[in-house]
Amino acid sequence: MGRLFTPMTRGKKRFSAVTALIVAGVFLTLPIILSVTAMAGGGGGGSAGGPPPEVLEQRKAAAAAAAEAGESVEGEAVKIETGRDVYYKTEGPAIGMPAPITADNETFYPRYNFESRVLLWVANQQHLYYGSFVLAVPIFCMCIEFAGMISKDKAMAKKYDQLAYDFIRISLTAYSLTAILGGILIFTFLTLYPAFFGYLSGIFRPVMHIYALTFVAESGVLYIYYYGWDKMREGVLKWVHLSMCVILNVIGTVLMFLANSWIAFMMSPAGVDEQGRYLGNIWHVLHTALWNPLNVHRILGNMAFGGGVVAAYAAYRFLSSNTDEERAHYDWMGYIAMSLGVAFLIPLPFAGYWLMREVYAYRQQMGITLMGGLLAWLFIIQATMIGILFLTTNYYLWQALGRMTGGERFQKYIKYLVFILVVGLLVFITPHTIVMSPAELKAMGGQQHPVLGNYGVMSAKNGGINAIIMTTILSFIWYQRGNKVPTVSWSKFGNIFMGCFFVVAQINNIALAVYGYFIPANVRIGLSVPQVAGTLSCLLLMTPLNLAMLKGGRQLGPIRWGQIPPRSQYAIIMLATAFTWMMGLMGYIRSSVRLFWHVNEVMRDNSPWAYTHTIGFAANVISFNVLFFWISIMFVFWLGTLGAKKVVIKGPVSEPIPAGASPQPATSH
Amino acid sequence: MVELLARAWDLGWPIMVMLVGLLVYFQATIKDPERKKRATFQTLIGILCMFLVLIAVSNYTHNFENDPGKLPISLVMITSMAFIMGLYFVNISALMKIGGFMFFVAAALSGYGNWLPQVEGGFPPPVVKLDFQSMSPQQLGDEGEKIIFGGIGQSKTQGAIGKGQCPLCHGFQKGFLSERAPNLFNIPARASEQLKAPTYHMNDAAARNTEQKESFEGSGTATNAQEYIAESHACPSCFVVPGFGVKGSNDTVSPMPRIHKPPISLQLGELAAVDTWMYTREGVESPGYDAIVASYEKFIPEADRPVATEGDEEGKGGNMLVDGSESHDDLFMGAGCPACHTIPGIEGATGKVGPELWEGTNAPKRMKDAGYAGKAKTTKEYITESILDPSAYVVTDFPDNQMPKDFGLKLTGGALSKIVDYLAALEEGKPLPAKE
Repeated sequence: MGRLFTPMTRGKKRFSAVTALIVAGVFLTLPIILSVTAMAGGGGGGSAGGPPPEVLEQRKAAAAAAAEAGESVEGEAVKIETGRDVYYKTEGPAIGMPAPITADNETFYPRYNFESRVLLWVANQQHLYYGSFVLAVPIFCMCIEFAGMISKDKAMAKKYDQLAYDFIRISLTAYSLTAILGGILIFTFLTLYPAFFGYLSGIFRPVMHIYALTFVAESGVLYIYYYGWDKMREGVLKWVHLSMCVILNVIGTVLMFLANSWIAFMMSPAGVDEQGRYLGNIWHVLHTALWNPLNVHRILGNMAFGGGVVAAYAAYRFLSSNTDEERAHYDWMGYIAMSLGVAFLIPLPFAGYWLMREVYAYRQQMGITLMGGLLAWLFIIQATMIGILFLTTNYYLWQALGRMTGGERFQKYIKYLVFILVVGLLVFITPHTIVMSPAELKAMGGQQHPVLGNYGVMSAKNGGINAIIMTTILSFIWYQRGNKVPTVSWSKFGNIFMGCFFVVAQINNIALAVYGYFIPANVRIGLSVPQVAGTLSCLLLMTPLNLAMLKGGRQLGPIRWGQIPPRSQYAIIMLATAFTWMMGLMGYIRSSVRLFWHVNEVMRDNSPWAYTHTIGFAANVISFNVLFFWISIMFVFWLGTLGAKKVVIKGPVSEPIPAGASPQPATSH
Repeated sequence: MVELLARAWDLGWPIMVMLVGLLVYFQATIKDPERKKRATFQTLIGILCMFLVLIAVSNYTHNFENDPGKLPISLVMITSMAFIMGLYFVNISALMKIGGFMFFVAAALSGYGNWLPQVEGGFPPPVVKLDFQSMSPQQLGDEGEKIIFGGIGQSKTQGAIGKGQCPLCHGFQKGFLSERAPNLFNIPARASEQLKAPTYHMNDAAARNTEQKESFEGSGTATNAQEYIAESHACPSCFVVPGFGVKGSNDTVSPMPRIHKPPISLQLGELAAVDTWMYTREGVESPGYDAIVASYEKFIPEADRPVATEGDEEGKGGNMLVDGSESHDDLFMGAGCPACHTIPGIEGATGKVGPELWEGTNAPKRMKDAGYAGKAKTTKEYITESILDPSAYVVTDFPDNQMPKDFGLKLTGGALSKIVDYLAALEEGKPLPAKE
């Protein structure tokens, strides 16, 4: 299209487009700016999060009546009671309504002939899955589009651009589904838990409005970003286009933080007094003890999840491809998506540690319920899942070595890596202290198993998972070296240094794991720091060192994209499914740790479902959620393919594809 | 198995008939023998796959509440269906194989979850009014042991835990490793020693380095062993035993919640029972109910003292709903049965959530049901079991876990007996039993 216009006309068009974008941006962000201002000023007529103005008026009238009756009234102080913040311990005017004291009846808990909690669980989980996906994909797009823009290789630049476009196209259909599921979730709350939702929305009234407006802004920016792709593909406009993606991600992140504040409030309330009355400080309500660690954990989790979903899409397209070009394209797409997902999976356990540390700091009992009490078995499942995720990642990387000329050099060592991974996994999932009934305790003769109880202490488990992560890093380094040989002058020294580094890190890890058996538990916990330090050193030092060694290295042959066994794609599917399942599991754990509280220690759950389900029941519902999500997203994928019929994926058919450069992508949308 | 297949057939026989009809249609309309053979084969595969799906759905709907452990069977059925479809329907092969693989993974994980020991978190502990003041020290100590460990004699059971939740963090036995909070063995004697600790600052709360100096303004510090125990419970952050503070707080804040506040919320009488147990189990004479309560009143302002109000009882499990002295109508109404059940002869008892209670007729049949796993041998035993342990047998087409499981704590023996007698006398086709 650009060729039809003279440079002058093109310049004018660009100016008009930029102006239009600025106007659109201001228009989209205006509601948010106005809302924030309104919130800062106390949410308009009434105080933010407090009762409606008429209730305040009634209270004032009551106080005035009390004053007339001769009671001890001194100015404003008696008109509005004060309360003490349950978390911040600050005093504030108790302007909100107390948390309702509910009872098991139809008024507080209207119900169908089915467990309301499970209905809400399903609605919530589906919304979360889609929400995570549509928030993660734009972050990928931003990274990939940027990579394309700074790439000097035009073919690569186009390829990255096409990939980013493919990603956002997939998420677009999912986006509307996310909104629909959000609506279903709200209706489920309103109809099944009206008292609880009424209380929560009373506290978060201004935040919820901002959330809704932010969603409008997110939609607007997303549509401009997607539909403006072709119009803004050159020069300054391309940078404007990328900036739209940055804005999109900022808005998306704010959106997620706001939603996180509600669940963080339910777990660790703040900004209210013991009766649950709002004390006038909306920042306290938002900034609860667990808000920040939850935010970080969710961003990383969303990214890993989003990577898994896109990789699964690529795997599906790979397996249903009829041409080598398509297979090459989707092999590459799957590899990029999976790499991004795994890149965020690796720091996820550390974010999890931080979250748990904050949970323990907030309420030790809550931490114990999670890690050593009622929910401890679920963490055994989680450990197994983490092991599965890393094993699958390694399997995929080993399969991927097969599409590289020269990759066969490493095949003979893989059996040793398998050995380390399996032993590491077995150690990692061995429990030490487990929850048992008195009869089980009696049968076992104590809280520790006579054989296994000697193992499974924290330092050994840390040793197990660190060995697994280190092995994964090694697999990745081998993959990077698959078709390359370092030619730098110090390559021999580099190889020896890297080898020694890995060996020393592994010895340090195992030695500390064993040493943990000879010292008290409270000292043992401290061993995790040097263990993790060893693993992170391998990741942060050895990976860049390897890249430095491979710079300008000798290529043994091309990467034959598309020439990978189909079973590798099932590894990707496995990864995506397992991650979806783990996300459901961890969400269930986070939610059920509140036990019989809607809002921890403030609003009690008096419904017939104020108990914690068995692990098996939870596992079945999680499986249902996972499969429901995947069936529906398959439908979304299918819709995506309808829109992609026009795209012709071009690429070399018979010739080998140059390493890291092909296949050729489509050139128009 | 036969029952499962029959339920599957009942669920989807019209679809199966349609598929068979399609098979007949192909036989009649397709002339090309090769195409006819292929169409016939694929339709037969389709019929098989559809039946597998029906089995899966039937199993899922039937066992969702009754026997969740059997739910992975559904996933295995669907996995098999997906792989069979993937093999024989080439145009959707990739989709079905991927779907089958996902179902397989989900089935494996569900199976794993069901294979692990099943622990279910119970309902919140009911609020029960006890007259602690009139109890002997031994009775009071027993109640204390119940509050701490969940039962009399449970203090020696590792892992036993009661409403107070103390063993989550504290050790109670000599030499027991207590990492999260101090071991409370011999605490009455050691409490006096703690008062002399340089960081305790007896009678000089302002000199403390803790974030919270005293329980409330003017409460001061403890001056004797019992007051030390009371202060530790009511204001754990007023003095933190070295090494047991919140990590990073340099022992200025305790991780322990205030015991009279949520989530534990012990009342003064319960606290007196807990403390009494700590004395009596050491063979030490307790200061007595009044002295213990007075020590807590020093550190807990009147407005903060939890009491079992009527509202609490209603919302949280509460006291007895009925005691058996009521008329039959009031008895059932008070117990809440009419909200869910239709009870012949009881005014206003027209609930539809649970089954209609013709128990004189129903009970003998249900005890003979193949799915009945309870222990009752007679009609009255069955009714009693249904009230006290509603999940022992769940009537077909009604979900489990709808009926509260704590009626044993809410009905007196007399009330339960009166309810059982009436329901046992309800037989279809016979006159209604007499009412009071």
